[in-house]
Amino acid sequence: MNATGNKVRVWDLPTRLFHWLLVAMFALAWWSAGHPQQLDVHLFAGYTIATLLIFRVVWGLVGSWHARFRSFAYGPKRVVSYLRDLFGPRTLHPVGHNPAGSWAIFAMLALLLAITLSGLVVLGGEEGHGPLAGAVTLETGIGWHEPHEALAWAMLLLVLVHLLGVAVESLLHRDNLVAAMISGNKRVAGAQPAIANHRGIAGFMAVVWLSATVIAALPWLRADEKHPYQPFKGATLPDNATWRSECGSCHQAYHPQLLPARSWRLLLAQQDDHFGESLGLDAATLAELMKFHVDNAADHPMMEAAWYVTHSLKPNETPLRITETPYWRKTHAAIPESLWRDPRVNGRGNCAACHSDAEQNTFTDSAMHLPRQN
Amino acid sequence: MRTMLKIVPLLALFGLPLAYADTVDDLLKGYQAQGASNFSAEKGQTMWTQKFNPPGSDRARSCALCHGENLKLTGKHAKTGKPIEPLAPSVNPKRLADAAEIEKWFKRNCTWTVGRECTPQEKGDFLSYLRKQ
Repeated sequence: MNATGNKVRVWDLPTRLFHWLLVAMFALAWWSAGHPQQLDVHLFAGYTIATLLIFRVVWGLVGSWHARFRSFAYGPKRVVSYLRDLFGPRTLHPVGHNPAGSWAIFAMLALLLAITLSGLVVLGGEEGHGPLAGAVTLETGIGWHEPHEALAWAMLLLVLVHLLGVAVESLLHRDNLVAAMISGNKRVAGAQPAIANHRGIAGFMAVVWLSATVIAALPWLRADEKHPYQPFKGATLPDNATWRSECGSCHQAYHPQLLPARSWRLLLAQQDDHFGESLGLDAATLAELMKFHVDNAADHPMMEAAWYVTHSLKPNETPLRITETPYWRKTHAAIPESLWRDPRVNGRGNCAACHSDAEQNTFTDSAMHLPRQN
Repeated sequence: MRTMLKIVPLLALFGLPLAYADTVDDLLKGYQAQGASNFSAEKGQTMWTQKFNPPGSDRARSCALCHGENLKLTGKHAKTGKPIEPLAPSVNPKRLADAAEIEKWFKRNCTWTVGRECTPQEKGDFLSYLRKQ
């Protein structure tokens, strides 16, 4: 079939826009994943994908013929026979999705749904944001982090299968499927149902997406090094005036959430030799500090960093410095020695040099900004 | 009522320096009761920049190391680099207002800088110097 025949529209404009926006947003989500400062970029991509999925489901019910699920819902027998006949003399060549391709489409849609849902669970649990904030525990959020990533890898694998299928069919049938997804047209022999382009709906999609992009980008354009953009605020942690004034007068007031209770007990018991200094705290102040630290220690995590600090330690390890915990070492391993010595940073104890929420002690992913080095 | 409106800000303005004057006077009396003689602001000033090498110090320590030689300026913690608000009551009225706070810092900072707690005489000399700043 093939190089002869009439050129007819197969894919309407909204379907094509959906396809290429999805490609761009999946690439953006992949690129921004694992970069804490780009969490909002990742979420922009994720929310766009979720919106695209909702559109696609609706379009699969009410859209033009080849976009409808009904037009490419093939049973397993059709898939097997299609694949068997693929390299033989061909008799049937569907205009829209072929039986094997249709299964890849449904699988990708289902996977994307699972990825966005698991992403919302991670967001709600780890960061306390999004529609599931408050409904998901920290443990659940952290527990879904790896499945979320595994699902994304499975999606990447399916994309490769999809591309392979596109390449095979394009070559075997001399039918450039990539060009068809751009122009919307294929050469088809025989009469085919006329398909409307639905330009109005596509225009609406483009306007919505462009507006969302501008709104999401504005705070980034307004931010500078002194006023970094912090798209997410962490949970409000328990506070204590004595802790702020006593601990905070010589160094940053490190929140109890950053070390386990056994560390705080040992640290406060050694107040006569607090890293070479004698604190000389009276008994009442010491007791208040001890209670605040033990009650709110990392053993009962209220934020992501506390959970990881606790779980990176062996039960017999009692670090006296946050910088001695395996989690801190791991997350700060890539920072060059020259940056620690930079006068703007001045050592490993000055969290606020890079974490704009160090005062609140929440250490959210998006609040981290390394000072630029020359 | 109009007089009241004028007096209240005046009281607020003079109340703070008065408060720390009382606090420091009481402390000085207490030091004398502990055996100190007359206090000298000059001796306090000399000790401000005097260098000490208590056991465990890797460099000479002095009050000025963290607080700076000019008490009206912001200091910097020798180890953590955290800014320390000026000690001079003339620019920072919160200073010298709380006796317990003063004693806490004497205890902590004399121990670190000199290697022992300060004597009532030394503390009195210091406060006599500080209150003039």
